Amino acid sequence: MRQAADHITRRAPEDVMRLKRLGSLHQCRLSFMRVLTRRMARENWKFTRPVFNINADGVGNAVYTAQGPDRAYSLVAFAHDLPPEMRSDRVIATAWDATFTLFDGVPDAADIQRLSQNVPLQEAGRVSGREISVSRANRSVRLWAHFVDALAAGQQPDQEKIDAVGYLMRTTAVYGSGKLGASDREGIADREEMAVPFQAEMLSVFLTRTFVRDLVQHVANAKGGDQAVALDPNIARQLGIGNSTGLGMAPFIVNHPVLFNNWIMVREEAIARVRALKSASADERDVFTSLLQRSAKSVDQWRSEHPIQIKKLNELKADLKLLNAYLSGGALAGDAPWDKLMNWAATALTEEGQELVASLMLEPYGDLVDGLTTCMADSNKEAFVIDGAATIAQTRALIKDSFGWAFDTDWTEKENQARAWYVSEEKLEPRLGERFEEPIAEYEQPLAPARDAVAAFNALASYDADQPIAEFLLQHPEHRHTIRRAQISQIAPYGEIRDNTISASVLPIDMLRAKLSFFGATRFDPRSDRWVRICMYAGAPYPDELTHENADLWVYPEVAQ
Amino acid sequence: MSYSLNEMEATAKRAARGAGYSWGLAEEASKAARWLCVQGQNGSAELLHVLDRELTDRLDDHRPHAIEGVWKSEGDLCPVVVGALLSDCARHLTDTSIEMQNVAVPSLLLPFAANVAKLTQQTVSVDCDGAVAKTDGVCLELAGDFPDTARRVVVSLTSDAVKAHQRQTRAHPDKASWDALNRFAHRTYAPATEESRKLGAGAGLSDND
Repeated sequence: MRQAADHITRRAPEDVMRLKRLGSLHQCRLSFMRVLTRRMARENWKFTRPVFNINADGVGNAVYTAQGPDRAYSLVAFAHDLPPEMRSDRVIATAWDATFTLFDGVPDAADIQRLSQNVPLQEAGRVSGREISVSRANRSVRLWAHFVDALAAGQQPDQEKIDAVGYLMRTTAVYGSGKLGASDREGIADREEMAVPFQAEMLSVFLTRTFVRDLVQHVANAKGGDQAVALDPNIARQLGIGNSTGLGMAPFIVNHPVLFNNWIMVREEAIARVRALKSASADERDVFTSLLQRSAKSVDQWRSEHPIQIKKLNELKADLKLLNAYLSGGALAGDAPWDKLMNWAATALTEEGQELVASLMLEPYGDLVDGLTTCMADSNKEAFVIDGAATIAQTRALIKDSFGWAFDTDWTEKENQARAWYVSEEKLEPRLGERFEEPIAEYEQPLAPARDAVAAFNALASYDADQPIAEFLLQHPEHRHTIRRAQISQIAPYGEIRDNTISASVLPIDMLRAKLSFFGATRFDPRSDRWVRICMYAGAPYPDELTHENADLWVYPEVAQ
Repeated sequence: MSYSLNEMEATAKRAARGAGYSWGLAEEASKAARWLCVQGQNGSAELLHVLDRELTDRLDDHRPHAIEGVWKSEGDLCPVVVGALLSDCARHLTDTSIEMQNVAVPSLLLPFAANVAKLTQQTVSVDCDGAVAKTDGVCLELAGDFPDTARRVVVSLTSDAVKAHQRQTRAHPDKASWDALNRFAHRTYAPATEESRKLGAGAGLSDND
């Protein structure tokens, strides 16, 4: 029996919601990929490949169907012959090595025909309410060529080359929730298997990885004929799907404060529950220490050429040494081991190390924390509606609570408002520009909540404390979005980033990583301050291999005992 | 062509912003257009009628100056502004009805009346020069045609039930209004320059690795 727990409060939003910490988050057992693979194993989903019309050059289409207890979902994949000069990870690209859609059900020939006219065009095409996501991927040119050549020549690919890249294709966008005409999130949100956020997108990527494995084998077989060999399943399993992500994700977490709050709050609640445990059993301690060793291997496999991430990786490796030294004294055998561990980490480790510890200590306690994942979606549509009867005093207090830290910032200083978020005319992609060097200020998106909150707070000064906010809003429509956010913060205490999102030194990659960590991504590899490559599903079983035993901990590489 | 409701909402928000509304009011306008589409109304065209009135040039002339009394202004009232105000004043309606004079495109008030219905958990009636709409927040019941501009609008709570009907899960805007909304939306996009491509977006590295 586990001992009854003391109550431990969640970490405070002012500590958690700093960009530096959000930019140090790691995957954990609440991550959306792991939620999906656990569910598919538990419910014994069946996977088939009803269509595989690919020619010897690797061009054609294929369908992969995942059949759950109530419904089927199918990845419809189109493989193309892409000239190298057209291969770009930028959202402004117009052609890709492969394009995909996740179809709601099993498509017939007419559906595939319709989709073949649209999906390869991505943003320039249209899909329907029968489709749930639209995505595309490009090959890792060097690894793809090596795999084809090696397998065609009867050899397995070289391990060092695999380690250097980690995937054969990387997606450059996965669009969901109504984009390009697809089904709205609301259309699938009541389905049990889609209740946790981004399950459709994660399923799409899971099936995409299988398609990529099959495609490289198909092309190698066509090239090598009788000489070709089958890819070793142990090598195949190491491969993930890469993802190359830019600024689109950063506005997402600002524009969805309730949703983002729910992700963070669920993780913080999980951490608090584990911290509250009075002791850890030998089995629970073993789970933690063994996954820590496997995490260390994962950190070793994590490559980056970006100076920021190189520094963070070096610090994380140093953190792991300190952590091992701390644990070698039997620290987990004592009272309240997890709370003590977190308290120690807060003083001894960098944010990378602290957040790795926080994620890892959830691992032994699936029974205590996994149920929280059902609270990660945003089903509170009423949060949008402003309560006009709230008083000026209440509003001031809410703003102060989330943005008190921003009152000391001099918002007239150039460095504090050096950047502006805007949407470009081309492809309608979000961009971050230099306010004082480019003609973009008049196009600015409302993605500087801290600056706007201070402005609203100042405007509230001339109102009486007990006046209703409706009177203020009638006179000041320019502050309406800020008052809405302030009211939302009552139900979403982790909904606001506690840093300046338009300062000269803001690193958008911190926002990208925060979001991607909840997907379950690993190997964050920034390509600039606003662009990051990651890996998804590396180590995961393929659909035909998925079992209850391998459905969860695949994210941690195996280590020799 | 059908659009997802999220596409409708996103386009409406950008269009309202492009027409000069504040971000907060643009959000209200876009939710309103979406709600009308869910009710089977042409939310795209209704919103466009509002934007075409160009009320944001002098918005002060199109909003009431006080919450108390009849809502009126120098010019026709902007339905986005008074709609948001109606929603903000939901609790006033438990004591009294709200009367407005000279409201442009009064159909745009209906989504805000739906907010009131949800907040008060009662049916809201919108009487617009004799045409009456009722909503319980979820569904809409219309009797008569709403005028382009209403001389007198009375919003009040009622105990009447609203007939349930099938809600739409897709938007079916007419092409003309959809294209027009997109032209308004276009005003919010910064013209792309080589500099913005370089500074603003991706890493600018080759993907051939």
